[in-house]
Amino acid sequence: MSEADPATAADSARNHLVAALHDVARRDRAALRRVYDLTSAKLFGICLRISNDRAAAEDILQDVYIKIWNRAGRFDASRASPITWLCAIARNAAIDWQRASGRVATAPEDAALAIADERLRADESIEEMQETGRIHHCIDALDERAGTAIRAAFFDGLTYADLAERMNVPLGTMKSWIRRGLQRLKGCLEDG
Amino acid sequence: MVDAAAPPPPDDRDALAGELALGLLTGPERAQALRLQLADPGFADLVAAWERRLAPLHLDFAGQVAPPEAWTAISMRLDGEGQADGLVRRLKLWRGGAILSGAIAASLAFILLFRAPAPPPTATPQIVQVPAPPAQMAVAQMTGQGSDMLVAARYDATTAQLNLRAENVPQGDLAPELWLIPADGKPRSLGLISANGTTRLAVPRALRIMLDDGVTMAITMEPAASAPHAAPSSAPVAVGKITIL
Repeated sequence: MSEADPATAADSARNHLVAALHDVARRDRAALRRVYDLTSAKLFGICLRISNDRAAAEDILQDVYIKIWNRAGRFDASRASPITWLCAIARNAAIDWQRASGRVATAPEDAALAIADERLRADESIEEMQETGRIHHCIDALDERAGTAIRAAFFDGLTYADLAERMNVPLGTMKSWIRRGLQRLKGCLEDG
Repeated sequence: MVDAAAPPPPDDRDALAGELALGLLTGPERAQALRLQLADPGFADLVAAWERRLAPLHLDFAGQVAPPEAWTAISMRLDGEGQADGLVRRLKLWRGGAILSGAIAASLAFILLFRAPAPPPTATPQIVQVPAPPAQMAVAQMTGQGSDMLVAARYDATTAQLNLRAENVPQGDLAPELWLIPADGKPRSLGLISANGTTRLAVPRALRIMLDDGVTMAITMEPAASAPHAAPSSAPVAVGKITIL
């Protein structure tokens, strides 16, 4: 068989990343480079998408890998997927930067719809793709405005105030849409 | 608004956890939710549960090739940690926290700015029952290398107040956070200080005992909204040592 089974390839990519993180926890610089090579495009994409500022995204990316260097020992493969664990560090760092900079996010309206290209998705396991599919299914089942707002908050780092302005509704209305949306989202994911 | 005095009811707590995980909050609301996350394990679990629920969405972020110099910069920051000359060795006390950047390796220069007042008369030897700061007054001068940054600190043990005066703090999106780094090498945050002018901080009881001669104080630039932090996220921009007067 010349072509690798996609599921096996994804599992192998995941295992490779878990092993590299394990070595990073033991202060192995070469392992951090392996993690970087495997994930920097994904994490830079997150930093850039949320900060919407190339220079800032580069600074955030540096901080992200320094955080990974320091936190790798806390990664628990039995509780989290390595790639989403790393992505969450990047997203949180970018959001911290954005909140500290006091900037209003200026991502384009349709940016929330942009999705990862297929090449970068090749490493995802079937299970990961199913989980992503399920949360999208649950978000699609919400009131459309709540779903749009939740996606914009997640992918563009928009705050309540940004969302209220963007969607031209009072802040209180936005809060109640999202709070209700989150409650229903939770129910849907638990039913799934 | 979140009211610290009245914990929110269960549904509101879960909603707040979701809002924090999604990143919707700003300013005092965000700071308060982050404090609650640190202080309340039950709330922290709710936030973690929301992070797990939302986690699969991360896979939908599109990748972008990182600029080639990014790895070089990261590598240099890690190199800073590996250096072992005298100044840097002291800064290696930042274990479990920040990585020292070689580029902004702050100097440990110490300049005495404040004169000690005459010690209060103590009539008879006193029995000290609890560990107490060893003197009435301590000072530290934190300076940055290659910059004019200067933060002078003066601690008065009788009031447990730390007075700081900052000059020429780098302007930007981040705020200066003050750290105390005792012999165990673990930085403890004393909170944010004003980037220009004076700040008066009450030193928590647990940290007072650590204000001892030779102990390092440092400033890092941190996101203001989430301060005080459990550990610094970046290299110090100014460092100095405490001298007991």
